[in-house]
This record gives sequence, C-alpha cells and structure tokens, in this order.
Amino acid sequence: MQAARSSTLRALHSAVLQHLRVQPAQIGSTWGLFRAISAEAHAQGTCLSRSQVADRVLSVLKSSAKVDPLTVSETASFQNDLQLDTLDQVEIMMAIEDEFALEIPDADADNMKSTKDVIEYVVSHPRAK
Amino acid sequence: MAGLIKNLRVTKTGPGSRSLEEAQQRATDFFREACRALPSIMERYNLYEVITLSDLRSKIASEFRKHHHNTNPKVIDMLVFKGREELQYCIDHSKQRHHLLTQYIVGREGLTGDVLKLGEAFKGESDFLKNFYRGNN
Repeated sequence: MQAARSSTLRALHSAVLQHLRVQPAQIGSTWGLFRAISAEAHAQGTCLSRSQVADRVLSVLKSSAKVDPLTVSETASFQNDLQLDTLDQVEIMMAIEDEFALEIPDADADNMKSTKDVIEYVVSHPRAK
Repeated sequence: MAGLIKNLRVTKTGPGSRSLEEAQQRATDFFREACRALPSIMERYNLYEVITLSDLRSKIASEFRKHHHNTNPKVIDMLVFKGREELQYCIDHSKQRHHLLTQYIVGREGLTGDVLKLGEAFKGESDFLKNFYRGNN
C-alpha cells in the first residue's frame, strides 16, 4: 500500500517535472545573449546621446531662477552671456551633478565656463545617466 | 565629565587664508560641500513635501550671497568656520526640523514676506499678513 502510493506519487512527480522542466539549452542561450548586451552597453560608456545631454543641460539652466531663459543657448558663456558670477556657476554645476548623477571634481568644475564645455564633459563622462 | 560630551570635536582653525582669493576659494569649496550634503539633509528631516532640492540649494546660495561683499580674508574665514559648524549641526541632527524650516526655508521674512515664493507646502497660504503689515490698504 505504501509502496504503491509512493510509486504513483513518484510517477506523478516525474510527470509534473517533465512538464515543467525547461530545456537548459534554450535558457543558456537567452541568458548569454542578455549578458552580452548588457556587457556591451557597459563597455561602450555612456548611453546618452549628445542631443539628449544638450536638452537636459539647457533645461537645467532654464529652470534656474538666476538665468534668463532667453539668453540660454548651446554656446552661451556663463560669465559673459548669462551674467552669472562664481557662486551662481558653482550652483549650476551642482545642479548638473544632480541631473546626471555624477560627481564632478573641483578642478574640472572650475574649467567649465560655457554650456558647450558642460555638454562635452557630460557626453564624455562614462557614468552619466 | 568628558565622557558625557559625545559629539565634541576638537577643531583647529589652521593658519588662515593669506589672500582674498584663497579665502574665496575656501568659501566656494564649502559651498560645494554644503550642496553635496543637501540630499542627506532632506532625507533626514523629511523635507520632500516642503521644498525641492534645487530650491533648497538656491536658498543656501542666497545665504552665501548675503556676505558676498566682504573683502577681509579673516572675516571670510570666520564665516566659513561658522558655516561649517552650522552644516555639521544639520548633518548630525543636532538641529530639528522646525529650526531648518524657520531659519532657512521660510527665512527671516517669515510669512510676512512673499508667501507665494515659499513653494508647495505653503500653497494655501494667503497674502493677508503681508498686506496687513504693509498698511490699511
């Protein structure tokens, strides 16, 4: 009685498993493909395009209260065109850091004097999101 | 007695800035430090409903701007030192939420200033107090 039950159970068990068992070859190939895609994306650096970066940088500038939105353009110099002093420039750099989830070292931040510099920097930064 | 003072930090001020540029560089560095601490401060005091990160950054920048006219490097050094102390209190949670709200977010003018500029948390407030203090118009 026990043996019979266990054997039917075993039969049921294997039948269910056979139904549910996924072919290892298929899974292996899809997982491998997925890994390849993510590794490739990681290796080539940032996935952001230059136009995307430019749009986001310009929107950060326009939303800042001290900047006149009409004067903002891709070649605007912070000091001459946008009339920003050093404190404002640091604030803008912090806003850019927040936007792209970066941490820009002080030396690089001091060198950036126009919108174009910022866009170039973010596009070439491997970790920009 | 010394064992009770848990948060005592032995701070030394160092030699101080030799020139105005150096003092201004210190002030800029301190501003960057403060801005980088802002997300954790917003998290700690739960300021998400009250103000946005960029608005808070602007308010801190305006606090810095109040002392923009100083030209004595020693004065600037002293201000940076006091500012660092203040920032440390904010990070350590030695201050409380209402301190930050009244001192920085609502500011010195309080609700007699421009209420509409205060942001989401004060959306329902009216301009009544401002007009009241201004006069019988």
